[in-house]
Amino acid sequence: MSKSKPTIFLDPALDRTSIATDETISRDQLAVWYRTMRLARACDQKLAALYRQGKIVGAVYLAIGQEAICTGVVSLLNRDDYFSTVARGLAGWFLRGVEPKHVMARWLGRDVPPAHGRELGLFFADIQQYGIAPYHNGSMASWIPSGAGFALAFKIRKQPRVYIAFTGDGATSPGDFYEGLNFAAIHKLPLVVVVENNCFAYSTTIEKQMPVENVADRAPAFNIPSEIAFGNDIFEVRRVAKRAIDYARAGNGPYLVEFKTFRVRGHGEHDDMGYVSADLREFWEKRDPLRLYAEYLSGAGGLDEAEVKAIDDECVQTVEDAVAWAEAQPEASPDSVTDRLFAP
Amino acid sequence: MAVITYLEAISQALRDEMRRDENVILLGEDIAVFGGAFKVTVGFLDEFGEDRVIDTPISESGFTGAACGAAVEGLRPVVEFQFADFIACAFDQIVNYAAKNYYRWGIPMPVVFRGPAGGGFRGGPYHSQNPEAWFTHVPGLKVVQPSTPYDAKGLLIAAIRDNNPVIYFEHKHLYRRIKEDVPDEDYVVPIGVADVKREGTDLTVVTYGAMVHKSLAVAERLSREGAECEVVDLRSLSPLDRDTFLASVRKTSRALVVHEAQLTGGFGGEVAAIIAQEAFDVLDAPVTRVAALDIPSPFAASLEDAMLPTEEKIYTAAKNVLEY
Repeated sequence: MSKSKPTIFLDPALDRTSIATDETISRDQLAVWYRTMRLARACDQKLAALYRQGKIVGAVYLAIGQEAICTGVVSLLNRDDYFSTVARGLAGWFLRGVEPKHVMARWLGRDVPPAHGRELGLFFADIQQYGIAPYHNGSMASWIPSGAGFALAFKIRKQPRVYIAFTGDGATSPGDFYEGLNFAAIHKLPLVVVVENNCFAYSTTIEKQMPVENVADRAPAFNIPSEIAFGNDIFEVRRVAKRAIDYARAGNGPYLVEFKTFRVRGHGEHDDMGYVSADLREFWEKRDPLRLYAEYLSGAGGLDEAEVKAIDDECVQTVEDAVAWAEAQPEASPDSVTDRLFAP
Repeated sequence: MAVITYLEAISQALRDEMRRDENVILLGEDIAVFGGAFKVTVGFLDEFGEDRVIDTPISESGFTGAACGAAVEGLRPVVEFQFADFIACAFDQIVNYAAKNYYRWGIPMPVVFRGPAGGGFRGGPYHSQNPEAWFTHVPGLKVVQPSTPYDAKGLLIAAIRDNNPVIYFEHKHLYRRIKEDVPDEDYVVPIGVADVKREGTDLTVVTYGAMVHKSLAVAERLSREGAECEVVDLRSLSPLDRDTFLASVRKTSRALVVHEAQLTGGFGGEVAAIIAQEAFDVLDAPVTRVAALDIPSPFAASLEDAMLPTEEKIYTAAKNVLEY
């Protein structure tokens, strides 16, 4: 394995600056996915502005540049499948029906379910309404063991359901990554680990995180299949993720998919990204997932540019309305602070 | 009714709950084929099958996280840590996932973590610890430790039926030494309710786990000398039944707090602080603690015996409080 090639640029075999699909997908469906990704982008751009204005306190973490992965993967799931992701998978939440106004209200610390002000907008779980499973952030590997637990329940009950753990390159170093995948592989549990390799764990490069070139190179330790794909192409995401999901659902055990992508903004908006080279930014700017998808839509996708622009404008307006709604919501009452510690 | 050991009571609670509710599953190291390091689950694999009695790899964080996820999905996993000491490897999943899940999302997580705890076996630093105070500091966890077979069975059934994460510390020293009549049918000892194991008028001893028995022995000795101790067995540390020991202290005006875990930062400090604050007006002597020395659990008998609380240490401390 060569260490000379920096992993920050793509393997030529994965590299592309335009995208296409062999699937037959209706214009309406194509537009739904585009709207989902665009809504996440618009939401994130607004969150960055609110953070700079001091309206969001603490920190804010954006998904810009990674929208195609969660959109593509969640588009393949059945309603009773579960997934877990932090807000880097914001578009995945939206595709499941989570409302932008609630996302905004959570970032603003307002009294909306399910957290009622107890948790950052970064984290979200609601099984009953959205099938988004609860997790915690010891590290982003923490929900690989718990994901194996959801998958264990599916297997014991003989249900053909899958659990998707969206995580990142940095999360493949903590022990939970090994312990969770090891357990899942032993019991052939329907767990799909989707690694969004976005080049950095906060500021730390892949070379300083792991002695292998790809996260997927770790999979042989578990005797499970793995694939590496270009994560900014929603169609490639769907092609690869479908193989993984079908494999897991059929009872063959876990599957690891590594999507190469790029975190366009910092770890959080407090991060000046001084560690990212201009070359790298420029390389990935030409491969922005929304740009690639918009170009496909207004070409082979059969939408004209005005239609794409109309979706863009609609998303911006949706976000403005969401912020207005969220700002009008009350903060949680201090009297509620000790509520709901234990379940009845 | 039948006379059974503390260990048999734990085993019976697990078996009865697994027969009653197919959602109850067990995970742990060597619990299936081998029946557990202490043989609590002998025969379970044959009766319940490998889907419900799962031998795990040596990866506490992994199987703890898996149990938590399965619990959210409606199973009721009971995790066995082979020794309570090993719970350290699962700390993050317990304190950051299990403990906080309901507060964050309102999603229940009915999972039980069993930890064989305690010293006196020459187990050395990693097979002797009493880690309860690591967890009583964490809101969202329930922490219990039974001292008798009756309580062991009833508290474990209560833990399994509880919709929250419960850490159940069972003292290894009691496994085969303590026997009593226990009802054959199922019953619950409610979590969060202390029990007065001996009534008395002169001194309140607040304790739990194996120290209940040492405290009762000291109480008999003091009784022969003319002082009557009331021994309060906390049974649950979180949530804590303050009312029972405060009522006792209001009666006796003197309090001794005894546990096997190390003194500093130990749970006894919390009990002592509550008594000092809530019952200051009735106290005739300083609230006093007896606990292990502030060192790791040493291996050699001479050292471990010097480290752990003994009946002699409890007796001396009790005399000091009585004669203050």
